[in-house]
Parts: sequence; structure tokens; C-alpha cells
Amino acid sequence: MSFLISRRSLIGVAAGLLASTALPRLALAAGGRLVVASDSEPRQLNPAIVASNGVFFVASKIVEPLAEASYEAGGLRPLLATSWEGSEDGLSVTFKLREGVLWHDGKPFTSADVAFSALEVWKPLQNIGRSLFANLEDVETPDDHTAVFRFSKPTPLQLIANALPVVSSVLPKHVYEGTEIAANPANAALIGTGPFRWGEHKPGEYYLLRRNPDYWAPEQPKIEELVYRVLPDRAAAANSLEAGEIQLAAFSAVPLADLERVSEVPGLQVVTKGYEALTYQLTVEINHRNAHLKNLKVRQAVAHAVDKAFVLDAIFLGYAAEATGPVPANDPTFYTPEVELYPYDVEKAKALLDEAGYPAGADGTRFKLRLLPAPYFNETRQFGDYLRQALAAVGIDAAIVANDSAGHQKAVYTDHEFDLAIAPTVFRADPAISTTNLVRSGIPAGTPFSNQGGYENPELDALIDEALITLDPAKRVDLYKRFQHLVTEDLPLINVADWSFTSVASDQLRGLANNPRWAVSNWADLELEA
Amino acid sequence: MLREVLRRPEAWIGGGLLLALILVAACASLLAPGDPLAIVGRPLIRPFVSAELPLGTDRLGRDLLAGLIHGARASVAVGLAAAGVAILLGMTVGSAAGFAGGRIDEAVMRVVEAFQIVPGFLLALAFVSALGPSLWTVVLAIALGAWTGPARLARSRVLSLREADFVAAARVMGMRSSEIALRLVMPLALPPVLAVSATIVAGAVLTEAALSFLGLGDPNAVTWGRMIAEGRNQLRSAAYLSMIPGAALALTVVAVYLLGEAVTEVLAKRRRA
Repeated sequence: MSFLISRRSLIGVAAGLLASTALPRLALAAGGRLVVASDSEPRQLNPAIVASNGVFFVASKIVEPLAEASYEAGGLRPLLATSWEGSEDGLSVTFKLREGVLWHDGKPFTSADVAFSALEVWKPLQNIGRSLFANLEDVETPDDHTAVFRFSKPTPLQLIANALPVVSSVLPKHVYEGTEIAANPANAALIGTGPFRWGEHKPGEYYLLRRNPDYWAPEQPKIEELVYRVLPDRAAAANSLEAGEIQLAAFSAVPLADLERVSEVPGLQVVTKGYEALTYQLTVEINHRNAHLKNLKVRQAVAHAVDKAFVLDAIFLGYAAEATGPVPANDPTFYTPEVELYPYDVEKAKALLDEAGYPAGADGTRFKLRLLPAPYFNETRQFGDYLRQALAAVGIDAAIVANDSAGHQKAVYTDHEFDLAIAPTVFRADPAISTTNLVRSGIPAGTPFSNQGGYENPELDALIDEALITLDPAKRVDLYKRFQHLVTEDLPLINVADWSFTSVASDQLRGLANNPRWAVSNWADLELEA
Repeated sequence: MLREVLRRPEAWIGGGLLLALILVAACASLLAPGDPLAIVGRPLIRPFVSAELPLGTDRLGRDLLAGLIHGARASVAVGLAAAGVAILLGMTVGSAAGFAGGRIDEAVMRVVEAFQIVPGFLLALAFVSALGPSLWTVVLAIALGAWTGPARLARSRVLSLREADFVAAARVMGMRSSEIALRLVMPLALPPVLAVSATIVAGAVLTEAALSFLGLGDPNAVTWGRMIAEGRNQLRSAAYLSMIPGAALALTVVAVYLLGEAVTEVLAKRRRA
């Protein structure tokens, strides 16, 4: 008897579980629902505070920046700002703002919101804005649709413009003013001006965003509901796509090894465009406090020991390019191929290590190192396994130290408990945003993705500082070309591969990958054909 | 008793497999000399294609057979060491509690229960995450979740033996308590604990594989769990990467269970007789 009852209640519980994991089924108007795979749920979803791709992937559809990246000449498409102009002395930038824009709660968007966001959020709180807007003194608002940024030091307009898509997510002043910004409930249930409004978030299940009927661009957005289904297991994303349960998996949610198979599935397409402005680099970070690695010859030997072609082939399956230096080759403005190159050459690496005074011991080993691969991506972990073997081939015994994400960040960026580390560093359209940080000296311990290897080069530091206040775009570009040369010459770090992402999408989607930050742009023009 | 065990077919199969495995593990460096993680060929050579690399290579071009052989070493070593630590700790704590009785017994048993209510694997996960992965933390982590079974068994045996007539007689004869414990009670309390040891070894091998699968094994050693985890990404295109170490793991656990089954059966028969 008790068996019967327990079985019935079990069925009840199972049905309840099924119902709770199923997405809400609603009758939908034209446009329909787009279901997207999401592999993580960021703890903090406010893009004005945490400017990272994981946050933008969801939040950029709700909270918009002043401008978005574009494939067109100039590289920018106006969003909340319609134009921007720098003064000749580089001490101010004037933004004209779009008129007739409404916040999701119905209040009008004005220059006061921009001033508030810049002074109260981007400059003091945002991971990138903290350094980028360090010299921002004031934002004047002569009228409701003009904002004038005043800087205490000359600031190149080129840099500000390149950074706009990443740093300038505008928050509503009337919601945040007078509250503790980092703890405001609107950080979870976002309020913005974007094409989609916040719906709900069921942890471990999905985010739901709904069409904003009052969006400023006419006849946009084209999709009624946007659902991010949380699928942390990468194999699950491919299976769900094939089953038609989701229509899009961005940020390489489908493992590279599965792409060939998936590309042959009817109704699905593999897209490699749309990530140009968020190129990752596979980078070997070096702790220059280590007596061996302090020696340039040892660093050169490490660079020569890596077979980049093999890495591209075996680890990235061809979906990457060889990196020549700290700026990826697909950057249209700053990249230069005229840098020191380190072709794969085991004998040369051995000779360099001999010259450096590290002869091979009886067992072929010269010295030992600790190697910490970042655990964030399959590719960084696999490259860790590869690098260990590549170094063994030249007589360096590298022991891998595995940590979880938090442990890795603490070990590398706070405690400096590493000799070599493998990082997926990001190039964000301008070297001053997140690239020079990787080699600049004097960055306080605990700052993630910055020079925590104790590298100091006064010449490089001076160059970085000069470029920060150089207003002429051509001169700036020249300085950064020199920067690339200096970095590859002295090897404060070793760039191995420029690597981008892939999307797998249903053939029903129109308007895919139409800007270089597509996956983290607002998707207002994305269409789902019936 | 050994003769009785050996008369059973499952003991032959299980014991034979296990012996072979231990041999392979012991001679790993002879059978597959050099670093098993070395890149020796083209990536993703299928099994039974190349004579030099009979089981093929993984995504980075590492020899699968060498990995399998050296992985046996990790599995056997960790499995046996963890089970050994668990049984030793469990026996000591359990029999001490049984002998002491009273409040000490109560207190110790509450501690045992506290360990029992936390799932063993969770305990191991937490332990390894806190101390960092290495061979010894993995052994201790597994033992931490497995010592309570032997502890309870040893205690219950000691409790019943303590009141037996021959123990009372020995006491009357003036034998010291320590002598009674070590010479009279322990030898009789041991067999049932040894009978469950097979389950503990098998569980330890599986837990080790699960920890490596989750990336919490020693990152510089090959283990079967790690091989399965690395192969998982290519499950649809190169299933052999996970299937070969998976089969080895399953075979090992079955072998240990078969041997344990034979021992348990013989013990049960004796008790009945």
C-alpha cells in the first residue's frame, strides 16, 4: 500500500519538476521566440559595472551603450549618442544624444542619465572605466541632449571612441540616484533603453527578455521573446540545436570538435564572423620574479619551443590564427606584422638555454617551473598540457598546477604563485583598453588580467604613457606599432594564437553576425523567419 | 580458507584480472617507457591502425596505450592506498569505541554518524578543493568518506565479542585487557571487515576516477578518469578516447567485486556451518 502511494507521489513530484524546467509556453505573436544557449549566469548582470562579454551577452539587449561597433568605415554606429566630437586640446568630448528615447519604465532618456552614469558608475565602479575614465573630471549637460565630458589631461578621441561600445552602457539616473549602486535591485532586473525588456530569471534554467514596444528605432526589435537557456554542458548545446530546442549557440558553445559534424546538419549553419572586435589571445604569462625567466634568452627559448602551427591544428582545429604579438592580426587599425618572430625551432631553443647557462642535467632536465593554465576554456587547459610537453622537449620540467577559476585568479594575480600561466587575454579594439595593462608596471596586486608577473621596462612604460595622451590618431597608431615591436623583442609575455569564437545558428535567423561585436550587441535587427 | 576461496570460479576470474592489472601497474615503466603524456604521433590516430600506437592517440597525439598502462598504476595505487587507510582508521576507531564503551563510545559513534550523513563523494570533493589536488590528498579524501563502514562493523563485532564467555574466562584468568583485545578479540573482529574491503577498494577506484574526471586529480599524472574527461569533448567524433579507459575502469571494478564476492560467500558458509 505504502508502495502505491509513494509511487503516485513520486510521479507527482516528477511532473512538477518537469513543469518547472519547461519554459513558459505562451501564445506568441509574429516574430516568435528565439531560444539561445547560455553557458553561465554572471553573478552581477549590470553591464555598466561589469563590462565583460559574459554580462553583455544578456545585458546588452536591455541596457544600451552610446555607440556600437560596426563593419563600416569609422568602425562605429551611433546608438544613444548620435554624434561625438573632441576638442582640439583633447580636454573635452561633446556627445549629441538621441531624442525621443524612453527608459523601460516610461521616463525620458536625457543627458543627466549619461552624466550620472559616467561620474557615478563608469569612473568609480566599472572594471575598465576605472582606468579609462581616471582623468574624467566632470560631465556638463548644457541641454537635455548634449553631454560634454571634461578631462583633466588630454585624452585621445580615438581611444574614447574605440572604447564606447564596451564602457558606455547608460543607466537610468532616476532609478539609481541616492541608492547604493552596486546593490540596487535594478542590477538584477535591469532597466535600460534597449530593444528588449527584462522578463525574469530562473537560476539554473533561463533568462527571459521581452520585446520593448516603445523602442526608439522604428519596427525594431523583430523578435517577441528572447530566452537564454542555461546549458553549462557544452555537449548539451549541440544536441539541443540538433533537436531544434534552441536556435542559436554563440561564443563557441558547441565544441570545436563537433563543428564539422554540426555544419552538415540540415537547417543549421556555422558562423565564424561577428567576433572581430572581441578577439582573444592565447597568452603565456611569465613571472619575471623567477630567476630563470628573468633571463631574456630563457624567454626566447620558451617562445621557440612552441609549435604554433600544431597548436592551431590540434587544439583550435584551424579556428584560430598564429599570433605575432600583443595585437591580433585582424585588428584593422593598430596591427603591424613588423615584429620579432620566434619560429618553432627546438634546437635553437636548446642552444639558447645552453647559452643562458642552463645545461641539460643527466636526465635531460635543465630546471623546473610551475605552469598554471587558466581553467576558463578547454583550449587554455589543453594548451597547458601541450606546453608542458613542448617545454619537456627542450629540457624544462614544467609541473601543471590546476585550480578552479577563483583559485587561479588568486594564485596568479594576487599571490603571484606561478612561473608560467596561460591566459585568454582579450583585445578590445584599442591597445589602451585591456592590452597595455598586461605589460605596464606598477599595477596593484589583485587586478585580474594585468601585469602581475613583476615585469618592469621603463622604455615600454614611457611609451604606454605617451600614447595615452597622444591626440593625433596617426601618431598614436605609430606608438602602438612600436609598442608591439618592443613587446615581442623583450617578451614580457608570449602571444601564441589569436582566437575567435564561432556561432551555430538555425537557418531561420536573419541578421546574424552583422557587426564585429555581434554576439554582445543589442540584436534589435535580428529576425526569426517562420 | 584460501583454498575454499580459490575453489570458486568468480575468485579465479576476479583474482586473475586483478593480478594482471597489478602486474601491469607495477611494470608500467617497462611496458611503456618514458613520459606517458609525451606527444608521440599525429593527433587522433584511431585504434588498431598503427602498429606502433596500437590503441591510437588522443587529441594532442599522446599514446593511448601508454596512458592506459600508467593510468592503471594510478588507479590501483590510489584504490588500494585509500582502502588501506580507510580500513586501518575504521578498525582502530571502531574497536577502540567498542572496548571503551559508555560515553566515549557514544561520542565516537556520533562523530561516525556525522561523517556518514555527508555523501562520501561530496566530502572528497570538498577536501581536494580545499587542499589542492595531489596523489596523497586524493587518497586521504577518498578514505575520509569510506572509513565509517569498517568503524561500525568493527565496533559491533567488538561489542558482542567483549561479552563472550571465553573473554570472561580470559579475564578471570588474569589476562591484561590489552592482551585480550589484541590476541582474542581483534582476530575475530577482522574477517567481516575484510569482507567489505573489496567494496571499499572498488568504491575508491571509482571515486578516484570521478575526481580526475572533474579535474581534481593530480594534473601531472595520467589517470583513467582524466582520460575519460578529456575524451568527452570528442565523444561524438572519437568515442574510443573515452570508451577504452572507461572499459578498463569497469573491468577493474568488476574484478575487485568478483573477488570480494567469493570471500564473502565463503565466510557466510563458514558461519552457517
